[in-house]
Amino acid sequence: MIAMAKIFDEADEILLLNQDTEDKAREIIGDRGNHFLKRIEGETAANISACYQCHRCTNACPVSHYMDVKPHQVIRYIQFGWREKLLKSSTIWVCLSCEMCTTFCPNEVQVAETIIHLRNMAAHSSVAPREKQVALFHQAFLESLQYFGRVNEFWLMVALHLKPIVLKEKIQTGTLTEEMALGFRLFRKGKLKLIPRRCKAMGEIRKLYRQERGEMD
Amino acid sequence: MNHRIDTKNMDDRPSGKVIVVGGGIGGIQCAMDLADTGFFVYLLDRSPTLGGIMAALDKTFPTNDCSTCIFSPKLVQVAANPNIEIITLSRLLDLKGEPGRFTARIQKSPRYINMEKCIACGQCAQKCPKKVPDPFNGKLGVRKAAFLTFPQAVPLKYALDAEHCLYLTRKRCGLCKDICPTGAIEFDQKPETLTLDAGAVILSTGLEPALTPQEGEFGYGRYRNVVTSLQYERMLSATGPFAGHLQRPSDNKPPKAVAWIQCVMSRDAARNRPFCSSVCCMYAAKQAVLTRSHQPDTETTIYFMDIRAHGKEFDNYIDRARHQHGVTFRRSMISQVYLNPENENLIIETFDHHQNRKIEEEYDLVVLSSGFKPAHDSSDLVQRLGIVSNPFGFITADFDEPVSTSRPGVFVCGGMEAPKDIPETVIQGSAAAAEASALIETARHAETVSLKIVAEKPVEDQPRVGVFVCHCGSNIAGVIRIPEVMEQVQKMDQVTFARDFMFTCSAETQQPLIDLIQEHRLNRVVVAACSPKTHEPLFRDTLQKAGLNPYLFEMVNIRNQCSWVHGSGPDKATLKAIQLIRGGVSRAVRLEILHDFTHPVVHEALVIGGGISGMAAALTLADQGFCVHLVEKDDRLGGFARNLFETLEGDSPQKLVRQMEEKVLRHPKITVHFGSRLIAHQGHVGAFEGTLKTLEGNHGISYGAVIVATGGQAYEPREHLYSSDERILSQVELTRRIKQDPNWAKSLQQLVMIQCIGSRNPDFSFCSRVCCSAAVKNSILLKELNPDVQVIILYRDLRTFGFKELYYAKARKMGVLFFRFIPEQEPRVHKDPAHKLLVDFYHQSTYKNLRVEPDLVILSTGIRPHVESEQVARLLKLPRTQEGFFMEAHVKLQPVEFASPGIYLAGLAHSPRFISESVAMAKGAAQQAVKILCQETMTTPATVAQVNPEICAACLVCVRFCPFEAPFINADGVSEIQPAKCRGCGICVSGCPRRAITLKHSTEDQINAEIDGILKSIF
Amino acid sequence: MKLAFYPGCSLEGMANDYSQSITAVFRNLDIELVEIEDWSCCGATAAHSLSELMAVTLPARNLAQAEKMGMDIVSPCANCYNRLRASQIMIQKRIFDVPWKITGKIEVHDMTRFLADPDMLERIMTRVRKPLEGLKVVCYYGCQMVRPPRITGYTDYENPQTLDRIVAAVGAKALDWSYKTTCCGASIGIGRRDIQESLTARLLDKARQANAEAVVTSCPLCQANLDILQRNETESTIPVFYFTELLRLAFEPGRASRKWFRMHITDPVPLLRIKELLR
Repeated sequence: MIAMAKIFDEADEILLLNQDTEDKAREIIGDRGNHFLKRIEGETAANISACYQCHRCTNACPVSHYMDVKPHQVIRYIQFGWREKLLKSSTIWVCLSCEMCTTFCPNEVQVAETIIHLRNMAAHSSVAPREKQVALFHQAFLESLQYFGRVNEFWLMVALHLKPIVLKEKIQTGTLTEEMALGFRLFRKGKLKLIPRRCKAMGEIRKLYRQERGEMD
Repeated sequence: MNHRIDTKNMDDRPSGKVIVVGGGIGGIQCAMDLADTGFFVYLLDRSPTLGGIMAALDKTFPTNDCSTCIFSPKLVQVAANPNIEIITLSRLLDLKGEPGRFTARIQKSPRYINMEKCIACGQCAQKCPKKVPDPFNGKLGVRKAAFLTFPQAVPLKYALDAEHCLYLTRKRCGLCKDICPTGAIEFDQKPETLTLDAGAVILSTGLEPALTPQEGEFGYGRYRNVVTSLQYERMLSATGPFAGHLQRPSDNKPPKAVAWIQCVMSRDAARNRPFCSSVCCMYAAKQAVLTRSHQPDTETTIYFMDIRAHGKEFDNYIDRARHQHGVTFRRSMISQVYLNPENENLIIETFDHHQNRKIEEEYDLVVLSSGFKPAHDSSDLVQRLGIVSNPFGFITADFDEPVSTSRPGVFVCGGMEAPKDIPETVIQGSAAAAEASALIETARHAETVSLKIVAEKPVEDQPRVGVFVCHCGSNIAGVIRIPEVMEQVQKMDQVTFARDFMFTCSAETQQPLIDLIQEHRLNRVVVAACSPKTHEPLFRDTLQKAGLNPYLFEMVNIRNQCSWVHGSGPDKATLKAIQLIRGGVSRAVRLEILHDFTHPVVHEALVIGGGISGMAAALTLADQGFCVHLVEKDDRLGGFARNLFETLEGDSPQKLVRQMEEKVLRHPKITVHFGSRLIAHQGHVGAFEGTLKTLEGNHGISYGAVIVATGGQAYEPREHLYSSDERILSQVELTRRIKQDPNWAKSLQQLVMIQCIGSRNPDFSFCSRVCCSAAVKNSILLKELNPDVQVIILYRDLRTFGFKELYYAKARKMGVLFFRFIPEQEPRVHKDPAHKLLVDFYHQSTYKNLRVEPDLVILSTGIRPHVESEQVARLLKLPRTQEGFFMEAHVKLQPVEFASPGIYLAGLAHSPRFISESVAMAKGAAQQAVKILCQETMTTPATVAQVNPEICAACLVCVRFCPFEAPFINADGVSEIQPAKCRGCGICVSGCPRRAITLKHSTEDQINAEIDGILKSIF
Repeated sequence: MKLAFYPGCSLEGMANDYSQSITAVFRNLDIELVEIEDWSCCGATAAHSLSELMAVTLPARNLAQAEKMGMDIVSPCANCYNRLRASQIMIQKRIFDVPWKITGKIEVHDMTRFLADPDMLERIMTRVRKPLEGLKVVCYYGCQMVRPPRITGYTDYENPQTLDRIVAAVGAKALDWSYKTTCCGASIGIGRRDIQESLTARLLDKARQANAEAVVTSCPLCQANLDILQRNETESTIPVFYFTELLRLAFEPGRASRKWFRMHITDPVPLLRIKELLR
């Protein structure tokens, strides 16, 4: 009975080592300086260095099991300067911004903000997003916003499905028909509005988009 | 108020009185040490009783001693000490004057019960209709508005709760006043202000849990089965709300699974609690162990991040908790506790790295290991007294004056200084006493009272036995039928007189006792009450006042041994009480008049070891006017600290050594014996004689007390290429090189530090306590010189306890990287073909094998006891742990004492510790020695063994058996026992093959008579 | 009393029912909601995800519009509230410059906290004509309204009380449960349905375990998510109300608009009938 209770006892951690990493090459740390860490800390004021690896963030995260790099590991990777591993991770797209990690961090490391910042970085980089669908949805949302100043759910879904990758995958997995059925049901319930309402000040908003794309200073 | 001193008539001498604020274990230790060294003490407590947190604890780590059992004798001693005046329900308002001559104003809140009149019969509480959630029991149980905080409260007087008493709040009820047999209830008591003069003030206001229901953390205050650690302590306690039956608050069922969450309100910068509370890891382990021994089927899980078992033998305790008691330790921190509404169980969610999924685990009970903050009114107090405190309200002291405050003449000890465990609190209590004692040394014995000795009257040959039976309120009378007992006692043919009392021990009962003894010409007295351990001294005192030899007294414990253990069987308890009393009477008839031994005291001390501890002890003694022989094996002072360049807090040990060295060498009362060692030691407390082997030859010295401060030395590592590569250094070597050559330090690119070298392993189980801080210190030093240097620290548990945690955070923020390893997976230091250093290790957080290519590898080598300590141990016959550290008399309450009287312990000889801790310990040990040295003569009890030379065959059995070296073969060729060394343990008596030895007051005749008396009523 | 109302995009579409019930309830409470003139989208999770600049600037335009009106903003949507507050704080800290003049004079309220103010609760109680006695609900706050506390200003983020107090004020029984602020995964629904479904299913389970007959929320995205994803045939369904729907039900029992309830995917009418709150 005692042995049963000791799921996470230290000695058991050796098992993890043997299973997961024995045959993998050793990774060298400390050879990249701390530029990446400095950059992230500078851009987010996120207190990364204060972390003492208590795992509160990963335990609190509702989706840590969907992440390839766990929240506490994200912080470590930044300290190692492992930029690419992070930008390629599913973590930065799976994060829900629910802010559990940030809220309960005893060292005030803004974990969620950091992850979202990495997502921002990934979006502006040449690294292909690990969770394409999620990334495309965000893109479609902003595109939709760009047209009307507000977001209309119907047109958002249309815009999303017009993206070839999305459509292809939805057809393949069969979710397209399912989603269309739901859409129809919502429409019948009066929940979907087909004619979007427009914000009049589209000029101002589009200026913003140009600024974001670096077309003006 | 006759306390006010007339300043016009005041002479230059300071006041011989000291005010100690706070009656927890720290304040009590301090008060006793002062009272026993010639000062009068006002001991203040804001509550109706002394006791503080320790009174609320169930058991104490690492011995699992019952807290009450070890603590209540101390409480009794404080209460009985004529030189301590306890002022309860009081607070220090302000302090005027200067060190040596303070005038303090004290506000005393009303108790509404006259302390002189209250006999603690408990009737007021019994009849009081108002139930109040009991704060002493963490509000898990109820008490009445008329109450006694706990059964062993000191003073043992009831009080009314002004916030809840129906009469005091609404002028209704008043039942207690009607029924109080002594008319002690006084509703019209008003707060008063006392003005007291004192030479020094000591603050020992202690701690309280930092977690309050308002914080709402982990569902505390929201879910019924989430409790704080202090509440759980009460839940475990036999005197607690559940009478020691482990059950949870919601449904009173025994919990099948209990979880502890560590670092609640500790190490939490987000809640402005960035420091570590130092004691929670150990008490959680203790609570889990106790839970398993209460209910072996209950699963216990501790969620933690670092186990901070940095104290003496603490790691062994953790290992036992884990492997022997089956406590589960989970290195994983929790953010929230969820409720299962169906059964009020609690759910803890963690991420399971093995299965890559989130798991929910249910617990019947969750205990929050709450950190501590200074007790609630202390921040006001600190402000009123104009004392500097740190941002968290603690009065942290300097490392060379560990109990001083920013205000001269005001000292601090215990939790108020920083969160700490009981032994460190006791040490600081003694150290604070030492500081005060040195400050007002010239007023020693000026204010103290000594008991008047009444001449003993001649005793008639015919024994006339008086028996006094105690009700102990309802403690005894609630179970045992006293009238039946009295009837039987009256019938006993050897009994001359018998009487029962509600509280035989109460101050009011003592005069009637004296009168009865004299009236009935009693010459043997039997008190059937509680434990002689706590109350025998009191009654012996009463006998003396009645002109009777104190050894003509016998005590029968019908409370602990009858009413308490047989609480559910009044018939048998009553019968047993009668039998025990018959035995006591039978023995009393045979008691003999005995006289204690007195011998003069040598007012000099011997200090072995000239390191910081030895020097601090010597100075503490010398500053109080006692001559000191300081024995140092080297040709210079300073010991281990000579190698230390800087502390974590930025202080300079070298500077301290130089300052102390100068003081010691110049002090007229200190004789330093360089290059010498003690080679012979004999005699007894107060009068030892020894031989010093010095460079000039041997010479004899005499001394009344010894302080062992033999110190420690660094472990010489064999691990990690240390001896074969100059790029591998120890932390001490690194600090020296940084200090000597900052440019070299600036040139470093990357370093790896490896912790626990030579510590916490099967060969040497101790944690060396200081190495984590040393690594943090050096990494900060390096980062300050060169912010780009990369420092990697490989550790097992980061043990920067207390405020040292702030430096751990500082190091992290400067970019130092900390990686944990487990002993089964030690880092490997090796070289590639090009002789480049490589460190390979497994990283627990990312599950990756990592490699670093550092310039240097720094080993955090542990502390070992000094090799010389073995010789000292053999010579003085002192016990040591397996690792070679000296073993104190009691790990909790006598940390600086040895079991052998007159010999004391300080510094690294005791265990690895920081300089400030060693200084405090040295001062504390010195103050224990002052207790001996300040007396003109010493009294040792008459209860010693005596050899009949007629029968003795000089077989040497007694000489070999005696743990205290009391017997020796005298000039007549037979064994003789030195009364001053004999502790009366009786081992020699039972060992002597010719039955030549008698233990006075426990003679064979007396013991047989007692047995006969007990058995007589059965057969 | 007048407030600048920032409905947010959802209220024009999926949360139409929420929008209508808000209008009705505020009319009952005699508080005038003035829709922010020509408001635009706050950028929601998408702007937050892809561009910090947009995440701050998009809400800022609405802050500027409200400042022109000189009124405090009240936001019914958790996500909008969060984004408006975050933007306001970033601008106050001068981390970003925005093209509009923003002084930070006006306050941004989340609608539940505005209504849970003691005076407001009193006002609510005076309007109750048919207390919702016997209705046992759990209040679901979601994440964005309460976290991170440094943005939302919630000090009781482990156990927020605003919705519980409001619901109790109209006579329903707000059960305590531990999952008031546990994320329902709505924001990732489009890209990763699996995540969304597992989180939502768990929440609904926990609500059932707490013996709740309904869930009450104030977040349009949470409502849609919890309402729609109840297709497991084996489990009993559990209606998900906007808190304003319940207020209206208590204020005007006769006229409570069935129209809104018909817009729910999980039909709340049978429950309300059992409780005799609806004929």
